[in-house]
Amino acid sequence: MELLRPFGRPRPTRKMLADAAYYIGVVAICVPFVFVFYWMVLGGLKTQVQNTASPPLFLFTPTFENFRKVFVANQFLKYIENSFMVSGGATLLALALGLPAAHAIARHRQRGVALGILVARMAPHLSYVVPFFILFQKLGWIDTYACMILTHLVITLPIVVWIMIGAFEDVPLELEEAARIDGCSRWRVFTRISLPVCRTSLATATILGFIFSWNNFIFALILTGPERRTLPVAVFNFISGDEIDWGGLSAAATMITLPILLLILLVQRHIVQGMTAGGLKE
Amino acid sequence: MATQIHSEASPPRASAPGEFLERHFGRLLPLPAALSIAALIIFPLAFNIYMSLQAWFVSSTTPPAFVGLKNYVEIFGKDARFWNALWVTVKFTTVSVVLQLALGLAIAVYLHREFHGRGLVRTVMLLPMVSTPVAVALIWVIMFNPSLGILNYFLACLGLKPLLWLGHPRTALPSLILMDTWKWTPFMVLILHSGLQSLPITPFEAARIDGASRWQTFRYVTLPLLRPSIAVSLIFRTMDSLKTFDTIYVMTEGGPNNATEILNIYTFQTGFKYFHIGYASALAVILVLFVFAVNLLLIKLRERSWSY
Amino acid sequence: MARRVPSFLIAAGLLFAWMLFLPRPGEAQKFDWQMHKGTTIRVMANKNVSGEAIQANLADFEKLTGIKVQYETFTEDQYRQKVLLELAAGTGSVDVIHTATAQEGLKFWRSGWYEPLDEYLKSPRLTDPGFDLADISKPALQGNTYDGKLVALPTMQQTTMLYYRKDLFDKHKIKVPQTFAELEEAAKKLNNVEEAGQKVVGIVLRGKKAAATSQWAPYLFGFGGSWLTKDGKPAMNTPEAVQAFDYYGRLLRNYGPPGAVNYHWYECVSLFVQGKAAMYTDVSNRIFFFEDPSKSQIVGKIGYAMFPAGPAGRKPTMEVWSMAVSSKSKKKEAAYLFVQWAASKENILKMQMKGAPSVRASAWKDPKFLAEQKHKDWVEASLKSLEIASTDWNPPIVAVSEVRDEVGAVIVSSILGENVKAAADKANAEMAKIMEKTEGK
Repeated sequence: MELLRPFGRPRPTRKMLADAAYYIGVVAICVPFVFVFYWMVLGGLKTQVQNTASPPLFLFTPTFENFRKVFVANQFLKYIENSFMVSGGATLLALALGLPAAHAIARHRQRGVALGILVARMAPHLSYVVPFFILFQKLGWIDTYACMILTHLVITLPIVVWIMIGAFEDVPLELEEAARIDGCSRWRVFTRISLPVCRTSLATATILGFIFSWNNFIFALILTGPERRTLPVAVFNFISGDEIDWGGLSAAATMITLPILLLILLVQRHIVQGMTAGGLKE
Repeated sequence: MATQIHSEASPPRASAPGEFLERHFGRLLPLPAALSIAALIIFPLAFNIYMSLQAWFVSSTTPPAFVGLKNYVEIFGKDARFWNALWVTVKFTTVSVVLQLALGLAIAVYLHREFHGRGLVRTVMLLPMVSTPVAVALIWVIMFNPSLGILNYFLACLGLKPLLWLGHPRTALPSLILMDTWKWTPFMVLILHSGLQSLPITPFEAARIDGASRWQTFRYVTLPLLRPSIAVSLIFRTMDSLKTFDTIYVMTEGGPNNATEILNIYTFQTGFKYFHIGYASALAVILVLFVFAVNLLLIKLRERSWSY
Repeated sequence: MARRVPSFLIAAGLLFAWMLFLPRPGEAQKFDWQMHKGTTIRVMANKNVSGEAIQANLADFEKLTGIKVQYETFTEDQYRQKVLLELAAGTGSVDVIHTATAQEGLKFWRSGWYEPLDEYLKSPRLTDPGFDLADISKPALQGNTYDGKLVALPTMQQTTMLYYRKDLFDKHKIKVPQTFAELEEAAKKLNNVEEAGQKVVGIVLRGKKAAATSQWAPYLFGFGGSWLTKDGKPAMNTPEAVQAFDYYGRLLRNYGPPGAVNYHWYECVSLFVQGKAAMYTDVSNRIFFFEDPSKSQIVGKIGYAMFPAGPAGRKPTMEVWSMAVSSKSKKKEAAYLFVQWAASKENILKMQMKGAPSVRASAWKDPKFLAEQKHKDWVEASLKSLEIASTDWNPPIVAVSEVRDEVGAVIVSSILGENVKAAADKANAEMAKIMEKTEGK
């Protein structure tokens, strides 16, 4: 392990060997992480008989029947729509509520709100489920978009605020001061100066919030019925009655994970910073 | 009057609401969020505490009955399953986080070098972290299958005996820890990697000049300098690990024989399988307090590590 | 004056006569399947043979009544939880529920979630004259009756059965086991034999904690044990019960598949249809899967026999799945039409033809069924078992789910080879605690 670039003048062949060995190491590290996804996609392309073959098959003739079944026979489009609406709604709402809050915490020291957000991030989702269930029952909102979006706020709001606090803190004070001097109201400073400067963090916050809301299982498990069920709960349908439909399960799992993986490609540079923002600073 | 530099930001018309906003900006801005937090967090917490003092079985013929602290007394005094759940939670979180930290550190250090395809590797690292837990958990269940799963096949290829993985109380929790490690080690790798990137060069130069070996450099220079990153990664990972639910519920539902039943799952079963809502609320309160205590402890520890 | 009296009398007489022919309240209309045409009802069902068989025939119902059905199925464990959630919520979001009264009946009844059906059955307006309640199995109806009120109409009735691989039995010259001892012998002989290039286990049974308890019950009764003692106390650590735990666990441990503690019936069926197990005891509707060429690799190779006898005799249990109307439903009559149709002669026969064992004597005797049913041994074993079967596949208490978890833990311990007596004692104590908390609530 070298922490600095190698210096001196090593002979080319030895260096090439050492480099090759290094790259092999890198690949070896990456393989386990990718393998599971590879196996998932493969499983979706196998028939039931191929999936339960022993020893496991790596080479086989693929079939698209599982993927077709997932879409056609299982109302997958409806569930995708539900997931989009819920996660999209929860993320937008989190932005509307969280951006002003984060700015206030960064600039105006609203410690109480900050503490509340921290508490929200810590508490296990389970502790919300019973109260929300009983509340939404009384309101008759079970299995509606309203109920799910409000509940998912518990997930998206802390993420948005947490990331944006760090981002707003990074906006140079001089920039904001200059705008104030020019007679901008605080609100205008916020919307015209601070926000645009934090564009990238904003994108990260939005996408991360969306992803974690998309992935959530427990809220949909308890608070939805057939109409507004989201994808993670729908994938459960594949532990079917007659045999465990491994092909269908794998195909469904692939379809659920795919949008997320695509989104990640857009923001991969900023994810880590996003996930730990506000933590590395004090 | 100074000339306007920013032409888009023209001065607002003086209006009463505008002025009110101006003056109380700091306090008004977070108001919507604060109200949502009150509704979303304080309400459930308060409700849980209220319900925990009742005994209720969600039947429409018997209304909730106030029993004071009876639920808590029973949980701490007579509920062996509760203590088991607590212990399993501690085991799961500690082993997972430590394992992920160690592996993450090793990988981060290994990858701390200029090489082609760095961006690609970073993308690969992200995949497990952001993938939908329920979906990948079910794939892992397929891979863990003792007769048909690919993991036993790999073991056989290496000449090792097949394992029962999720099928035996003694191997179930390690299997879950393995899966969790697969999912979250990249998180540690990425944090520690950024940490490494931001380290100053000077201490390393000094170490090289002093003739320190690689291991010595690592132990006496890298590690201490990385302490803040390590602390941050520990805190975030522990916070999230204590919230684990989806993967364990889907893979073992707390079995076999409660070997993987973390407190989260035990509370869920009590509430949504047996419908002892009062008892479950008490468990939920205890769970939340426990999580807060652990997080607070870690944060305090970190504050102390800042001074070195 | 004298002339007016007669007209008055005539008028009164005419009025009286007219009133005589007015329709009387309560017997206004005749029964009409289409009386709730255009409504939509929501049905929740378990994803088992019964739930899927009814689902397959939904088009018949919709054509017959003009009622649209939102039919939702879930896998068994999830189903139990979801239905409980929705009923507990009390908003009337579900109209018809698929129910196994032996599991949840007492709890649901005490919570007031079932709509009693006696009045509906008696009313000529609401019940098809051809319904023929007497044709339905008495024990099944009895099992669905609480405090004298019938809460659900049975649609499928299954009993414990022994499935075995005829081809393997012939090849290795083994007789069909009639007793527990013979069962163990056969499992031992057939364990790890090679067949079609793969290893076969001697026997597969449910091992997944709570799921296993219902199929362990026949073994419990076969050894002479019972759920409760005569004075209603738990009987999980009597010598007979311990014997049953020991036997069941031993069978799976020595002659069963690896990882059996995670086997719900889905996994058992999966293993069996792949040809990897020589024997399997479970409920009798598995024929639905076994003889389906699209799912099974062992079509035609299966034998069907009665559940073997223990020291106390043959004690198969009978498990009934029924349809019930939710008491909070806002469309009770439409819901009742569905329940009635599901249990009707036509529908039951149709399901039976596919292999869902029915609750109606007429269906079993139907000539078309008898002619088409290739597996006479299945029919014979089913009918004989139904005559002697008990409905007690669950302890007759309120907190069935919790107790099943405790008893299931003993089964798991036994499979793993741990101390069975200690585990049984612990489960018995826990069961007593649970019953104390929940009986009467």
